[in-house]
Amino acid sequence: MNPSDATREVLWNISNSWIMYALLLPTLLIAGNGILLRIKRWKKGRPVDRLDRPLERLQNVWRHAVLQRRTMRNRYAGIFHAFIFWGFITLTLATTVVFLHHDFGWQIMQGRFYLYFQSLFVDLLGLLALIGVGMAAWRRAFLQPRFLVQSSEATWILVLAFIILGTGFLLEGWRIAATDDPWGNWSPVGSLIATFSIHWMSVETMQFFHWGVWWFHLLLVFGFIAWAPYTKMLHPLTATLNIYAANLKPIGASLKTIDFESEESFGINRLDHFTWKDLMDLDACTECGRCTAVCPAATAGKSLSPRDIILDLREKSRISNKRETTFSDPIIGTAPSLSTESLWQCTSCAACVESCPVSIEQFPKIIDMRRFQVMEEAVFPEPMQQALASIESRGHPFSGSRFSRLDWTEGLNIPEIKDRPDAEVLVWTGCGGSLVERNQKSSRALTKILDRAGISYAILGREEKCTGDPARRMGNEFLFQELAKQNIQTFEKYKVKTVVTSCAHCFNTFRNEYPEQGGQFEVFHHSEYLKRLLDQGKLPMKSSSDRKITLHDPCYLSRHNHMTEDARSLLQQTSSQPLIELERNRQNSFCCGGGGGLSFTEEPSEQRVNRQRADEILKTDVDTVAVACPFCTTMLEDGINACKGSRDIKVKELSELILESLETEE
Amino acid sequence: MKLLVCIKQILDPEIPVRDFSIDREKLEADSANANQVTNIFCENALETALQLRDSVGESSITVICFGRESAEDSLRKALAMKADEACLVMNDLNHTPDSATTAHVLASAIESLGSFDLIFTGRESGDWGNGQTGAYLAEELKVPYLPFVDDIKQTDKGFEVRRQTESGWERYGIPASSVVTITNSDHNLPRIPKTRDIMMSHRKTITRVSFEDLKIRKDELNPQSDSVRPVKLFVPEKESACEFIEGENLNAKIDQLADKIMEIRSTL
Ligand code: SF4
Ligand code: SF4
Repeated sequence: MNPSDATREVLWNISNSWIMYALLLPTLLIAGNGILLRIKRWKKGRPVDRLDRPLERLQNVWRHAVLQRRTMRNRYAGIFHAFIFWGFITLTLATTVVFLHHDFGWQIMQGRFYLYFQSLFVDLLGLLALIGVGMAAWRRAFLQPRFLVQSSEATWILVLAFIILGTGFLLEGWRIAATDDPWGNWSPVGSLIATFSIHWMSVETMQFFHWGVWWFHLLLVFGFIAWAPYTKMLHPLTATLNIYAANLKPIGASLKTIDFESEESFGINRLDHFTWKDLMDLDACTECGRCTAVCPAATAGKSLSPRDIILDLREKSRISNKRETTFSDPIIGTAPSLSTESLWQCTSCAACVESCPVSIEQFPKIIDMRRFQVMEEAVFPEPMQQALASIESRGHPFSGSRFSRLDWTEGLNIPEIKDRPDAEVLVWTGCGGSLVERNQKSSRALTKILDRAGISYAILGREEKCTGDPARRMGNEFLFQELAKQNIQTFEKYKVKTVVTSCAHCFNTFRNEYPEQGGQFEVFHHSEYLKRLLDQGKLPMKSSSDRKITLHDPCYLSRHNHMTEDARSLLQQTSSQPLIELERNRQNSFCCGGGGGLSFTEEPSEQRVNRQRADEILKTDVDTVAVACPFCTTMLEDGINACKGSRDIKVKELSELILESLETEE
Repeated sequence: MKLLVCIKQILDPEIPVRDFSIDREKLEADSANANQVTNIFCENALETALQLRDSVGESSITVICFGRESAEDSLRKALAMKADEACLVMNDLNHTPDSATTAHVLASAIESLGSFDLIFTGRESGDWGNGQTGAYLAEELKVPYLPFVDDIKQTDKGFEVRRQTESGWERYGIPASSVVTITNSDHNLPRIPKTRDIMMSHRKTITRVSFEDLKIRKDELNPQSDSVRPVKLFVPEKESACEFIEGENLNAKIDQLADKIMEIRSTL
């Protein structure tokens, strides 16, 4: 037996194979129609540039569609998904090989390639796919994770996949047994079935069953191909396209800019006001539920569910598709997930966006709808009205604060930029850093560190105004743009080139949102800036404390900007003990509950996001929680104080800890 | 129907302590670092007028303010809330006149604007809290006056209004052209303007009226001509002292504390 002769007979035991080709045509037509319907829907969306930078986009496809990096973040689901994905890809390739060999006469299905790939590899991958389907079914039936969508569609898909794979193996086994295939052992699963079958069945019976099951298998496969584009099983295609069209900018730069001069409606309350990528998002969703599982509002028991927002919008787009004209129907308030109550629970933490394996952008859509509520309807929660009204009239959102922007400088010699126009950096204290008593201490600490490092800096003092971050995330894009213009004017007046801020929100807005408004300056988060000073040897820190520290990563650094390491490097210098990581850290960090305007609202204590984070922190044995954002500071301090009981645990801002270890130096 | 709402711009009642100071000469709050806002009762008054217009249709609302240049912001906001016209009576005096003078200036301006079916003012302003301008204004215009109104309906003969009192409500019929002062209630919270209306408000023109236009002689308006003048104005000094109660045990401390309280009471 020469391995180079190895092959098998294609269409063994099958006559009238033309029926197969005849059936293929309607199958492809039905499937094609399903795909076209979707493409037609996407085309109803508005333009957005998501096809630029093809190389980076292909890289993303490689990472997240082919290697499935994000899918893998969830072990169990990642593994079975990979099994099924690679299994079916391989089986499809194998079928293509048969097709080329038989119908095109390419004669490739032979020799070593036939043995190694077409027999052994395909057989094993098919087995993995079968195991994957089993694991998925087990998860659906018994593990039942909290945010899984149970639908009959999903069950049918698994049942079909199982039968298709199972009958495939039976066909292979019977063929091997009935033809006494000399290369049968190269297909381990098939030859196992062959060995069993020989004991139970005669060659004629096997031939008979082979014939029947072959046509059954074919009908199932064709049926599946025709049906898939109408189900979530189109996702191998839509997900790949969606990953290709993903937002390449940081998440922190993913909100749309409204042109108030030309736009006729502000914010979004109809499907066709979304972009085509937004609409493609809807069809790419695999219903995996990861976004809702990580959503702080959802896990706190509120009604917000980013997944349901996507699925309900999809449902609307499908119904709309049937009635053709209704892409202009209102969407807000038409499903529980789209209720105004839910839309106002989002902290804009972007955990949903970060977790989505197929690059769906959930929270920007929430902001789009908030914009409609605020700018077109002027109906939104009262505490947020107050915060916005305060920004409008006082330039800061902390209605009721008795502090001025200079109170925190009391007793220190902190120059204002009008008195020190040549300052190297402008320290942007932000509303949170200057008007909330707790944060004034951290603001002071930062300036003391800069003094120590010999940096020439200044503050804007009274001339500072809210950056517009809360206004933008609460849906008032108009106010945001006004504030951006005013602040940029102030920067230009003083020729500011470098800004350092300890507020993660201000930082993100400056870095990712001001350039579009004409802001031309360099901005650093203080963790970034202080790390530079450390590297330049300007911060003589001595880790003489033995604090057990953990870091709570702010969403607006870790997820919105993928910045996680500078604060860690700095913290490692402040204590002799190693830094302790929380279960959810870096880009998987869990929100403090303060973003998206939520820090201005009062919530029932059992629904507070900061309590959930505090519980997670209290599970570790740390005595210090380091934070790097004024909103995190106050939210976490409240949360920890409410939950800690008699335990001695402190929330400390990064600057406070650094200053401590600089002071011990003396 | 033509409605007129008088509004006032005042020092932000939420002004940070550090930014608040008193001009000892003029005997008024210094406005150098202070933020200016629309007096909340005036916003309630505007909201009540807007609701009346919504219910009767075919009406126009004119907003008038006697104030400084910065009061334009308050008028723009009123336009954004969808008032139809705005008029700024420029106050370029050196001091802030009292309620009677203000009412006199406003009355002249109102007369120059024509006649109105109902005139609204806030019940008082958040700075001085005198609550007199409305009454003086009615007197100047020689029309009926009703304070503390929070709800208004149009009737054949004029308006039916609801007035808040300490013990509940009273309902009155008032003739057209009256002056009402509006108090706050849960149904006249000022509305949030829509963005498009904010944008439109910047395109509207605000009528500016000067003392000359009203034939008022500026030199006659001085602190001495005001009928009411503050004698002294200062920020009260708050003193706080802390004392630890000593004692052998809890009972002794409680006795001590009780004595202390009695002692303080007797000095009050
Ligand atoms: S941004 Fe955060 S809070 Fe908002 S939907 Fe996504 S996960 Fe939930
Ligand atoms: S939006 Fe993304 S993460 Fe959420 S269910 Fe759909 S595919 Fe999963």
